[in-house]
Amino acid sequence: MLQNYLLLALRTLRKNRVYAAINIFGLAIGVAACLLLFRLVHYELSFNQQNRNYDRIVRVVTQVKSDSEEEGFNPGVPLPAQDAMQTSVTQFAAFARIHQNWPTITVPDAPGSMLGRKFNTDERREAGVFAEPAFFKIFDFTWLAGDAETALGQPNSVVLNEDMAKKCFGSWQAAVGKTVVMDNLVTLVVRGVVADQPPNSDFPFHVIVNYETVKKHADAYNYNPGWGSISSNDQAFALLNSSDQFAAAEAQVSTIGKKEYGGRRTVKVNHLQRLADLHFDDRFGSPGVYSIPKSRLTVLSAIGLLILAMACFNFINLATAQAAGRAREVGVRKTLGSSRGQLIRQFMSETTVIVLAAVAIGSALAVLLAPQLKHISDVPDSMAFLSDPMVMLFLAGLIVVVSVVSGAYPAFVLAGFQPARALKNDLSTRSVGGVSLRKILVVAQFVIAQALIVGTLVVMSQMDFIRKKDLGFQPALAYTVIGISSDSSSLQRLETFKQKLLQLPGVEAVSFGSDVPSSSNNWSSNFALGRGSEDASFSTELKFVDADYFKTYGLRVVAGRSMYPSDTIREIVVNQSMLRKLGITNPEEALTKELRLGGGNWHQVVGVVEDFHQHSVHKPITPLILSTRKDYYGTAGVRIRPENMAATIAGIQQNFESTFPEQVYTGEFLDESIANFYRDEQRFSAMCRGFAGLAILISCLGLFGLASHMASQRTKEIGVRKVLGASVGSITGLLARDFIKLVVIAIVIASPIAWWGMHKWLEDFIYHIDIPWWIFLTAGALAVAIAFLTVSFQSIKAALMDPVKSLRSE
Amino acid sequence: MAAAFQTIQTNKPSKPTNLLTNLSTVIELKDIERYYQNGALKSYILRYVNTRITEGEFVSIMGPSGSGKSTLLHILGMLDEPTAGEYWFLDEAVHKFNERRRTELYQQYIGFVFQAYHLIDDLTVYENLETPLLYKKVPGAERKSRIADLLDRFNMVAKKDLFPHQLSGGQQQLVGVARALIGRPKLILADEPTGNLQSAQAKEIMEIFQKLNEEDGVTIIQVTHSEENARYGKRILHLKDGRVENEELLPRKVSAV
Repeated sequence: MLQNYLLLALRTLRKNRVYAAINIFGLAIGVAACLLLFRLVHYELSFNQQNRNYDRIVRVVTQVKSDSEEEGFNPGVPLPAQDAMQTSVTQFAAFARIHQNWPTITVPDAPGSMLGRKFNTDERREAGVFAEPAFFKIFDFTWLAGDAETALGQPNSVVLNEDMAKKCFGSWQAAVGKTVVMDNLVTLVVRGVVADQPPNSDFPFHVIVNYETVKKHADAYNYNPGWGSISSNDQAFALLNSSDQFAAAEAQVSTIGKKEYGGRRTVKVNHLQRLADLHFDDRFGSPGVYSIPKSRLTVLSAIGLLILAMACFNFINLATAQAAGRAREVGVRKTLGSSRGQLIRQFMSETTVIVLAAVAIGSALAVLLAPQLKHISDVPDSMAFLSDPMVMLFLAGLIVVVSVVSGAYPAFVLAGFQPARALKNDLSTRSVGGVSLRKILVVAQFVIAQALIVGTLVVMSQMDFIRKKDLGFQPALAYTVIGISSDSSSLQRLETFKQKLLQLPGVEAVSFGSDVPSSSNNWSSNFALGRGSEDASFSTELKFVDADYFKTYGLRVVAGRSMYPSDTIREIVVNQSMLRKLGITNPEEALTKELRLGGGNWHQVVGVVEDFHQHSVHKPITPLILSTRKDYYGTAGVRIRPENMAATIAGIQQNFESTFPEQVYTGEFLDESIANFYRDEQRFSAMCRGFAGLAILISCLGLFGLASHMASQRTKEIGVRKVLGASVGSITGLLARDFIKLVVIAIVIASPIAWWGMHKWLEDFIYHIDIPWWIFLTAGALAVAIAFLTVSFQSIKAALMDPVKSLRSE
Repeated sequence: MAAAFQTIQTNKPSKPTNLLTNLSTVIELKDIERYYQNGALKSYILRYVNTRITEGEFVSIMGPSGSGKSTLLHILGMLDEPTAGEYWFLDEAVHKFNERRRTELYQQYIGFVFQAYHLIDDLTVYENLETPLLYKKVPGAERKSRIADLLDRFNMVAKKDLFPHQLSGGQQQLVGVARALIGRPKLILADEPTGNLQSAQAKEIMEIFQKLNEEDGVTIIQVTHSEENARYGKRILHLKDGRVENEELLPRKVSAV
């Protein structure tokens, strides 16, 4: 019987090629989209699951509550609190401290030399760490050489991962026992090698150093063992005795430091975070590369399901529309003794054949498109895709669900036909139940498509707004060299480096500073303005920069002047936001005052700089001071001329390497690093564009199928109308009108939904566009135009038919 | 087809005629009515139809267009339901049947022949014949032999792999008849089986029916326009305006040419 069903299914599909092609192609697109998003979501959800103790591992985190500023969340824990936890929390089976860094590793040419081959940390996928041996009791690492206790138990020992060992020494076997120098400062002996962590690990450590070593170099690594200091680099992990002790352990942890944290304005409290939540909590971030909120994954899953649902809608629509044509067959089969169940099975197997074909094509499409995922996610290309058992399971589930969802309703409709009426061919498409269902499904499809078009347009406008926004300085043509060591010998060479660069023909200005004008770094301090006043109720951000900084980056001074050259803090420039927050309306007034940072000395305010965005436009512009202080300079900014940029950049690198042979060169364009702030938004934008396109394509496929079906159903009517003198135009309009009406209804429904969703999205930006009304008009016009084009092809074809033929064929 | 009309008459129903009491009753109709509710008015298609059909009968239903003969056949074939009255099939109440029992009867007892043949377009001749056997769950070997038998009997062996549209109307109807016979039914319901055929082809089909009736004892009920075809049967029900106007018992004909 099954064989018979399948044979029949294939013949039916061959006969209705257009219908089959539309269904298979539409479903294949839906399957491919779904599969790609599944891969993405599944990848993110799989993070850290490779650890056997996944359920029992926790991270200690800190919450900072303050009455004047926003609530703060920090993945770091003050060092004395870590010490207290290690001894007092009884639910911890193991406890380990780490101190993160992003080291430069030198393989010295000769013992004791600072020169040699150098390797920087690739912050996008690597991290270094000082770790206690217990860390490896908590997390699973595969030890290729050595073991945690012996390799990390003694000072000045280091463990490399396989990748780093290979980079430094050619093979991991060769690395064992060798010497490397970290950050031109610490000489370390390789006492172990661990296998690389899989890409879905939040612990992609490539250099692991004995923890005691960081204490010896506390200053260099900002290792500050006080209750008042929280650094996100100092993190603590623990292994619970059992996963149900989470609440008890959390209660214990939250009591620690009650006395010691003190503070008038701020309250600090420690919490536990499960490893299962670590990858998904943006408040604390990941020790590895990135975290992603679960809500984002929900949105992605929802989009995948919606696209798939749209494809299923097509299937249902076309199948029920075609049902009338198959009514006679149903009637005959019933008189031949077919039961309703057998008919349902027959039609379901037809659906299944289509779904199988669609899944096969969709999977192939997904494999082809998988590399494109890098535009919207971090899924590595190298990971197994279709051969992944979870993906196979998902595909199997997909086949069942899609077959049932799209096949069941049409099958029941068909199998339920009354044989007498079916045999008389008394069933027109209109009388087959589901005209309203078809309309609802078409409207639903276009609601989704329309919402996605509006979303895409809003995202694109916002991205355009950000790109064109005046940041208060000129990021274009500013090239930066970052991560210059600030040890005394390097500082001495800064001036030489500057002079060398200024001799390059393509260089206009050179400046040093603690940071570029706009970055994600945040360095702030309490301060007081006006000799003798108390500290202000808010803190100020700090940037230490030299006198040429204004010229190099194009900062604008609204009052006074920029600082005169100096190697220490002497004069201070404040921004407009600070004055505004202090209630000073006349910038000239500020020039009469002195300012004190923290518990330091008073310094004269000499200028007011126009507000510029020191962070991404997600964040507001906050109070800021600029001043000189050479020993904080770690970044060089170079304003270059647009001509021969490649040569200029090569010149910058060459001069850097000759001036600082012991350092690793990292250079980038400021506008590119600023664009990186919006990586998430760019991905979102790319995703919106892609999926809006798919949604439109699928809706149009369905519309095309329905329109061609309607046209053939109304052949006779069209013939009669033509004989009565109707023009081609009026007939095209007649046929298109029904569909356009549905699209217009969809636009009306989708617009407020899209407005609300995008309004929420824009709230993430402090500086954002107001959603302009023309976006809805444009999106609506686009949807109507596309729908009209789709439908009119069939309509015009029908309208052009020779009435003699169409009337005779009845 | 059956055009609705409205009756003004309300005659007493006539008693069912029972002419062949010695044979078991296959079908008994008691006051069968079929009407459409049209606002406050009822449009009757069938009214007070009473009849009894016994095993081995060959009944022709005749009448002008709109007399309700097709509707009557549909009701007899359980494709349509009467709005009032009782329908007994082998002493079972059809008006109380569920779909399962109806399907069983189609598989075991009834074969249909249609004016428009109603072959399944996507299936070959062979597969069309096989379909009822598949529904009946007849084992493969037996299916093959039964189909081969029938193809042989109807001289269609060479055509078994053709699709319906590759056959002439007469050939298609032969397949239609063969398909009705393949399940070895006790009752054949034929709705103007020769309506679309030329007279030579019509004659061939009618002779097959007559032979089946006389040699295999299959009960046949056919609807026909043609007096000539009706004469192949043993009894004629004349329908007019939804009522049985009269019944005509035919003299036994000497067996075919």
